[in-house]
Amino acid sequence: MGRCEPARLRVPCGVHIRQPRPGVAVLVLALCGSVACGAPSDDGTPTTAAAVAAAPWADVVARARGTTVIWRMWRGDPAINRYVDGWVAPRMRSLYGVEVRAVEGQSAELVNALVTEREAGGARAGTTSLMWINGETFAQMRSERLLSGPWADRLPNAATIDRQSPIISRDFEQPTDGFESPWGMVQFALIYDPARTPAPPHSIPALAAWIRAHPGRFTHDQQFTGMTFLKTLMYGLTGGVERFQGGFTDHRYRTGREHLFAWLASVRPSFWRQGTTYPPDVAAMHRLFANREIDFTMSNNQNEVVTKVRQGILPAGSRAVLLDEGTIANAHYVGIPFNAPNPAGAMVLANFLLSPEAQVEKQRGDVWGDGTVLDPALLPAPWPARFAAAVADAAALPHDELARKARPEVHPDYHARLLDDWRHSIRQNAP
Amino acid sequence: MRPRSPRWFLPLLAVWIAAPILMLGLRAVARGWPFPGIVPVGGVDAGAWLGFADVRLLSALVMSMGLALITGAASCGLGFGIAGAMVDTSRRSRTLAMALALFSVVAPPIALAVGLQVAMVALRLNGTVTGVWLAHLVPATGYLTLFAAGVFGAFDFSLHDEARTLGATRWQVFTRVTLPLLGPRLAEGVLLGGLVSWGQVALTALVGGGVVRTLPVELLAFVRAGDDQLGAAAALVLTLPPGLALGLLHAATRRSGAAL
Amino acid sequence: MRRALPAMLLITPVAIGAAYSAAAAVGLAGPGARGFTLRPTLAVLSAPATWRSVAWTVAVGSVATAIAVALACCAARWLLRRASWQRLAVLPMAVPHVAAALAALLLVSQSGLLSRLVYAAGLTQEPAGFPALVYDAAGVGLVFAFVWKEFPYLVLTAIAVLATGTNELEEVARTLGATPRQAFWRVTWPSLWRGMAPAVLATFAYLVGQYEMPALLAPSDPLALSLLTYERSVDPVLARRAEAHVLGLLALVLTAAVVLAHARWSYGGEEGRS
Repeated sequence: MGRCEPARLRVPCGVHIRQPRPGVAVLVLALCGSVACGAPSDDGTPTTAAAVAAAPWADVVARARGTTVIWRMWRGDPAINRYVDGWVAPRMRSLYGVEVRAVEGQSAELVNALVTEREAGGARAGTTSLMWINGETFAQMRSERLLSGPWADRLPNAATIDRQSPIISRDFEQPTDGFESPWGMVQFALIYDPARTPAPPHSIPALAAWIRAHPGRFTHDQQFTGMTFLKTLMYGLTGGVERFQGGFTDHRYRTGREHLFAWLASVRPSFWRQGTTYPPDVAAMHRLFANREIDFTMSNNQNEVVTKVRQGILPAGSRAVLLDEGTIANAHYVGIPFNAPNPAGAMVLANFLLSPEAQVEKQRGDVWGDGTVLDPALLPAPWPARFAAAVADAAALPHDELARKARPEVHPDYHARLLDDWRHSIRQNAP
Repeated sequence: MRPRSPRWFLPLLAVWIAAPILMLGLRAVARGWPFPGIVPVGGVDAGAWLGFADVRLLSALVMSMGLALITGAASCGLGFGIAGAMVDTSRRSRTLAMALALFSVVAPPIALAVGLQVAMVALRLNGTVTGVWLAHLVPATGYLTLFAAGVFGAFDFSLHDEARTLGATRWQVFTRVTLPLLGPRLAEGVLLGGLVSWGQVALTALVGGGVVRTLPVELLAFVRAGDDQLGAAAALVLTLPPGLALGLLHAATRRSGAAL
Repeated sequence: MRRALPAMLLITPVAIGAAYSAAAAVGLAGPGARGFTLRPTLAVLSAPATWRSVAWTVAVGSVATAIAVALACCAARWLLRRASWQRLAVLPMAVPHVAAALAALLLVSQSGLLSRLVYAAGLTQEPAGFPALVYDAAGVGLVFAFVWKEFPYLVLTAIAVLATGTNELEEVARTLGATPRQAFWRVTWPSLWRGMAPAVLATFAYLVGQYEMPALLAPSDPLALSLLTYERSVDPVLARRAEAHVLGLLALVLTAAVVLAHARWSYGGEEGRS
């Protein structure tokens, strides 16, 4: 393996001082005392998710009863929080006797936290039992062996997952191998205000023409949403996503980057602030858009236009538009970390999240607007009709248009390379 | 004598200090407020405030307050203890101690946060209130040591010497002379240490492992999501308790005759 | 020396953090660690972006600290005996950093309240007509927010120093015939600076490391050091996350140099005085 032994670092808790002052004594006592009372009551390492999953499902459910699941996720959207805290948690409590505590924890940061936990505390130091992850984070967690599994295919509700969809069964072209369970599906869309932009562009050339005709009114953010926009352009400008499928190759990447950067060079002088600076994140984009500093914002979720208008963050009447060249769709998942204290509870929760009730509620425009990962055709009546009616909003895009224009994610290295090159060649080089 | 200030000074100070807080206050009751509106459109909206009736946000608020109180008290004791131990030592030791305290305060967050996370995981205190409390204690004690050193620097130690020559032990001098004289300053110290804890986001998130929920962490999430109304409301809820504490403390010290 | 030991406890976590960071920086710990390597260190130290980031961060932090100190020193003299005004002046201490940054965004951005007032007066036709004070390369909005947030801490320190009798000394100097300017620069300023130096350094170093406020207000280029460090710490290429630790250690060295310079200076200064 060539890897070093996990460093075991200890805090000296008995610093030798003669004539200790009261303050020091308190600190030393506090440190030592808390070591004693902080020792885990259960001395064995936690049972892995794979071992739990091997048992019959009824045993898993029985084992989960009366436990608490700490679920780390992005907590930035009040609508998502309301769905998780106000709809999922009470049902988990009444149906399975499982207490769900959803807490803040962005997946890119979780990788670092889990590695530190393993290095300093071995397999017993974990607090998290379930994590919201996808794409690059999944790849990183697999390569660092931070995920427990396989378990996801053993969930009873996994039978109705839409296995035909290339977007769900493969996460950024990686097989999920039962190490994560699908939870939702979203698709990138541009958002505009018809009052300001009655005829929005529907294709990449039309977008370029629009940007040049309206200097200072378009930009993208520096993070995941902005990069998804750039990847969408890269596919469209290089002849389609098919050119990038089947793993990462340097040559294909360079060709794509050349097309993308040439396109950017031609429109960048007409960007917001002449492309010398970019909004930090998509929240800043929404703020600029609502305040008429720019005329387009964007989202990785095609239904965000519905939910954010309801929250008063985006102007009333805002609409979403997909580019004819296709926009990126991707799925998000839940995973169980290697040091999860409660894998059984995590699996019962993951299974409940895949139930038609939980999926249709989540898809409602006035709840979250997150697309389902189930195939409604595999479900008995009246579920197919309920899924069809879930997003009833004038701003919602029709399902067939979404499906027609959905493009899958490609190997995560494309994302990593593009992010790095964009930062070095474009962000750092103001025209 | 009160130094004369220019006539513009006090009104300008008032505007400078109050404008951002008033701005947050307005934003907290306006659902949407797009450019170029000078007054919020759609009238007053209490929706964001009703959100604080939520048990989770309330419990996060209570957790923040509890942590601030115990961190403030403990860091004040430790800070004054450390600075007090330095009072009659050599200049070299004093300089060293102050440099160490300053260093613990100015150390880059990533080094401090990662160090505390590693330490707390090794102690099996990650994801516990005790762990978060100890983590908050580190920067708070650093600040309090500097603060206490400043207090002792301006302290009249002739009373100590008198008490000592009259045969009092060190401990007696501390409890009978030092503590009463320091009273108001200790209260300020508790508040200052509490404020350091009150503002922590990174340490809480990293050491608390998401299990220990405080209101600043929730506030950051709202602002990151672009929900300015909820963010402004949370900001005001976070401003109120320390604001009141500052005011009360000030009133108390004023009555006791010692200016803050 | 033995009495300095309690203070040692204070830097134990920093020392552990530095040790872990050092191990992670050379590929011996952390995500993506694959054995000893100097690549992250060399990559960080040889990247012009690193030094642009350091220079920009130090410049913005220095300007904000200098403005805040100057304002605090002036205000402290005028607030010395006005307890109720002091209570108002320290209010920003109670406001969380994220909230102060949000308030700055709502006030001075191109669609903020100031811009709206200018627009209402007919001086601009669109948000872009107002000068760019946030996400701007000069960091004006960030400095504004920094100064607002740090002013109370510095003004309190300045008042505490003046209250120890410095102000009376200035009055004595005045009665002895010094001009106001002479009295301030020869009498008040030296003792004010001596008393405030640790607080000033702490403020400066704190601003250099601050994350939440640049995250909401700073430009994408040059990137504030804290933002660059965070960006590296969540880089999609795990091996590159070691660079965040190199940047953290770089910041540690910078702040250590500041602290050491101050310790040396104040030690020598104290000896000079006695």
